[in-house]
Amino acid sequence: MKKSKSGPVTVLLLSIYLLLPLLMTLLYSVFSRWSDILPEGFTLQYYSELFADKSFAVSLLRTVLISMLPILLTALAILLTMYVVIIYLPGLEKYIRILCTIPYAIQGVILAVSVLALYSNAPGILSNRTLLLTGTYCVAILPYMYQGIQSSLLSVNAPRLIEAAQMLGAGRLYAFFRVVVPNILSGVVISAMLSASIIFGDFVIANTLGGNYFETAQIYLYQTLFASGQKTSAVIMVLFLVTLIISLVAFSLKKKERRQE
Amino acid sequence: MKKKRLHLLALVPFLILVGLFELLPLVMVVFRSFMPEHAIGLTLAHYVRIFTTRLYQQAVLNSIIVSAVSSVIGIAAAYFGAKAVHEGGPRLQHFFKTILSLTSNFAGIPLAFSYIILLGKVGVLVLWGKKFGMDSLSNFNLYSVWGLMIIYIYFQIPLATLLLIPSFDAIRKEWKECVSLLGGTSFTFWTKVGLPALRPALFGTVSVLFANALAAYATAYALLQNNFSLIPIRLSEQFVGDITQHKEFGSALAVVLMVLMVVSILINDTILKKGPLLSASSKKKREDES
Repeated sequence: MKKSKSGPVTVLLLSIYLLLPLLMTLLYSVFSRWSDILPEGFTLQYYSELFADKSFAVSLLRTVLISMLPILLTALAILLTMYVVIIYLPGLEKYIRILCTIPYAIQGVILAVSVLALYSNAPGILSNRTLLLTGTYCVAILPYMYQGIQSSLLSVNAPRLIEAAQMLGAGRLYAFFRVVVPNILSGVVISAMLSASIIFGDFVIANTLGGNYFETAQIYLYQTLFASGQKTSAVIMVLFLVTLIISLVAFSLKKKERRQE
Repeated sequence: MKKKRLHLLALVPFLILVGLFELLPLVMVVFRSFMPEHAIGLTLAHYVRIFTTRLYQQAVLNSIIVSAVSSVIGIAAAYFGAKAVHEGGPRLQHFFKTILSLTSNFAGIPLAFSYIILLGKVGVLVLWGKKFGMDSLSNFNLYSVWGLMIIYIYFQIPLATLLLIPSFDAIRKEWKECVSLLGGTSFTFWTKVGLPALRPALFGTVSVLFANALAAYATAYALLQNNFSLIPIRLSEQFVGDITQHKEFGSALAVVLMVLMVVSILINDTILKKGPLLSASSKKKREDES
């Protein structure tokens, strides 16, 4: 059968289509006027303005914090759970899987308003917006973290590894956290990166639960939307670049892992 | 006995997390959707209101139409994209996969804004359309169902293609050779063998796309704030903002959205179960390989 020639054309057309909005946003952010066919007045002024703006830096920092905390908490919670599941209660596995898959079916807006409705008037620390945001992000990334950790555990054959460590005189806890966990660390980091890019791109949860209480970079972006087009483009490019770096790190880790196998 | 219980402590963080932020909120939303506002009791009034008020009927309908159309167009584009990757060389594959993963991160507010630059009231393409006398471009109204649809289609394509590419690996060279030996063309192969073999993957991907579009909020919100009737917009409006909160009614909207998402997954499951030949052949393939 002869090779079809339509393939490269399809790829080219789709690539142009997909890159066009991105490219336009980039151009928009480095030109001061676009009222004719081509943009005029190249400038990096919008970027320098953006980096001089303290509230942007703070919002970016908030986003980094609010993505790291849930990732660490979720990773820890899942690892502890898998420790119990693998060593003591293998029958629990399917329930854990269901619990970890549910958030996938109630993405974003449903989860956010459910949490808000329940705790917005709760007494004491439970109505603290930062806490609500952290907890909700933990649940939002649960499917991805679970999937990553679970498949890594499977690929290193954790039960065997623990058996071997025990034969050499290690305790169960030691075997799991000092032998198994270091072996699956790169897999955990990959799902952590994926989760980070999800939280970085999230607007609905941040807007519903954080709002003005906890202004993340996405909220900052939303507010500039009504100010200046060029500044908004610059914010978008910076956020896009950060997400890109996160995914690149994850991608190179994945490649490294595959090579090891 | 004491030692046996100690390890259960390790489950506590997970259970607290899932209990407080997943199960309890969900259960309460379902309960609250059957409760009258500011009173105790049991009622279906909120659901009746959703399906009898024009505003909310419209939201449900718009959500389903925008999600369904964008999923179908998305999967069609993804099919040709993934097919091209399947038939192309390693350099083409690498190039396209890079672009796909690059653009799959481009969604929500950034995406909506870049389309405002392109097709908004003073968008670049609209400008070009005026200059070159292309009325369909210069008269395009981004702030409409069609505008929203175009943006949704954009974010469906990279996701759909990335999900579909691995399933093309299941199509084997021998099948093509068989069809070719029996006198079939490439077209015969794809319509009689290729597409049927891909059917489970295609349906699975569509159901992911549908759910993805159904729950999307930021794109529509950035484009038109609360002025566009979609379920997520109407839903969040009941809880966030200056107007008084309507938790009970909002909960009913949340349940409707949840049901739609679960239904799309269930339809997909039953369609897949009806294809015993396909699942058998894919199982066979797995056995062959191992």
